[in-house]
Amino acid sequence: MRIDVTGLTKTYKGGVRALDDLTLTIPTGMYGLLGANGAGKTTLLRILAGLLHPTEGRVVIGGHDVTTQEGKPAVQRKLGYLPQNLGVYPDLTARAFLDYIALLKGLHNRSGRRRRVTELLEVVALTDAADRRLKGFSGGMLRRVGIAQALLADPELLIVDEPTTGLDPEERIRFRTLLSRLAGDRTVLLSTHIVDDVAQTCRTLAVLANGRLAFQGSVTDLVSVANGRVWTVTTNGPPPTEGRVVSALPEAAGMRYRVVSRQSPDLSAKPAEPTLEDGYLALMDQVPV
Amino acid sequence: MIATLRYEFLMQIRRPSLWIVYGLVFALLLITMPFWSLDMGLPLEGGTARQDMTTAAMILITLLPVVYGCMLADRPGRDRLLHVDGVLDATPTSGTARLLGKWAGVCLATAVPFAIAYFGRAVLWAVTEGDPAALGWAVVTFLAMIVPGLLFLGALAFAGSLVMPSIMFRVVFVAYWFWGNLIPPNTMPTLAHTIFSATGDYVRWGLLHPLPSGMVAYGEATLDVLRPAHSPATAWLWIAVMIALAAVLLSVVRLHALRRES
Ligand SMILES: Nc1ncnc2c1ncn2[C@@H]1O[C@H](COP(=O)(O)OP(=O)(O)O)[C@@H](O)[C@H]1O
Ligand SMILES: [Mg+2]
Repeated sequence: MRIDVTGLTKTYKGGVRALDDLTLTIPTGMYGLLGANGAGKTTLLRILAGLLHPTEGRVVIGGHDVTTQEGKPAVQRKLGYLPQNLGVYPDLTARAFLDYIALLKGLHNRSGRRRRVTELLEVVALTDAADRRLKGFSGGMLRRVGIAQALLADPELLIVDEPTTGLDPEERIRFRTLLSRLAGDRTVLLSTHIVDDVAQTCRTLAVLANGRLAFQGSVTDLVSVANGRVWTVTTNGPPPTEGRVVSALPEAAGMRYRVVSRQSPDLSAKPAEPTLEDGYLALMDQVPV
Repeated sequence: MIATLRYEFLMQIRRPSLWIVYGLVFALLLITMPFWSLDMGLPLEGGTARQDMTTAAMILITLLPVVYGCMLADRPGRDRLLHVDGVLDATPTSGTARLLGKWAGVCLATAVPFAIAYFGRAVLWAVTEGDPAALGWAVVTFLAMIVPGLLFLGALAFAGSLVMPSIMFRVVFVAYWFWGNLIPPNTMPTLAHTIFSATGDYVRWGLLHPLPSGMVAYGEATLDVLRPAHSPATAWLWIAVMIALAAVLLSVVRLHALRRES
């Protein structure tokens, strides 16, 4: 399902301009939305999900304008949404919570709904905990309940907002793999401030900075932004002052610094292969604040 | 709407505190009021099922609405507090349907202990007096004299959640209950015993248990313009006023939610 965002601007009541004239096209498949905290990712996703009205601009999802009275439910029927800080009713069991959301999503057939809930509990590996109250669930388990509820109506568009924050490494990897598996012929929009999440799952992405589009394209294109701008410097002295230090690793010969910089930061600096993180940092250095 | 009604009802009725608080206040009523004594301690010409069921309702209605309002107080803001609202709002079910479902479900669940106390009394009366008519009158009385007020109070809790946290609403609500419903109107200016009061006086005196003609419930008081004489017509008017007030309050809540989306 294709998403066309045109001239999207959102100014909150306090005067914060969270999105500024954003124009963006999101194709089918797994798509990354990368940006620092406060870049405007959540604001964009909430508008896409029909939870928030933009100040200006148009959002057409699968042919429906989500900002209109008729378009919103049409989009929401095809939408699965996992909010950034998902909450649940602590007094319901996982199964009852999913049943409730399924009803709200229009799965009225009782046996079909039950089958779907059971199936999804299986998909997110919560079958054993299905009939326990949600108040005892760990953060990772709740996130999985969250993804299960998003999948209930077999959505063509899946929006997940920072789903891996706060998960331990194993859970994170499991969650990422699950998302990639789900992509297939639907659109999965993954927002994150963790570069690695995008690097491991998406081929195309957009980068938001201060509510504006800083980049739109393939992962390899973003990596190549840092071409010729990544260096390693090994020294016993002070860290390089030129450019941005990405990492510092102690070695026998001294500290090895990885630096993103337009010019060579030091006479002894050696050029290095850029990664997605380098590309992202190089891009951020170009973005006007 | 039905889905929300069902789940909000379930979550509320399974709350242990609902039963505990109702239980305590009910115990207080038993100790202080003649509710449980079979003649209800009231020497009105009484003795008929209809009159005694009305009196029983009147006794419960003094204190149980306080519990009702306080137990409802946290429900309207609960979705936001728990951060469930994002998921709910992203479903194609309209916000209006969910608001109505939640209001109906929560009001219904919170009224269940109330109904159990009342109908328990009715069953007891029917058995000891050997007059099953009490059960029929209990149903009529509950629906006409108690339910309209509860629907209004439920909507009041939803509207209250817009302007204050639930803890504060409880305090304000208790104060409102005694000032706006119970105190004799000749002591200070009050909404008590007006057509806007939630106690069902109008149905009691106008419809179910008419006062002997010429008898007035209270002497002269301020705001008497809001106290038309008891009659079947004003009884129905009161029911309409309660439902209209509930509708207005819920509309305000809905409009407020729509504004928050922008
Ligand atoms: N409800 C709100 N009211 C006012 N400002 C907000 C609100 N939500 C977010 N903001 C502001 O909008 C900007 C973008 O926030 P957000 O969309 O949450 O970014 P991200 O998800 O990328 O971290 C931030 O400056 C944030 O403080
Ligand atoms: Mg965010």
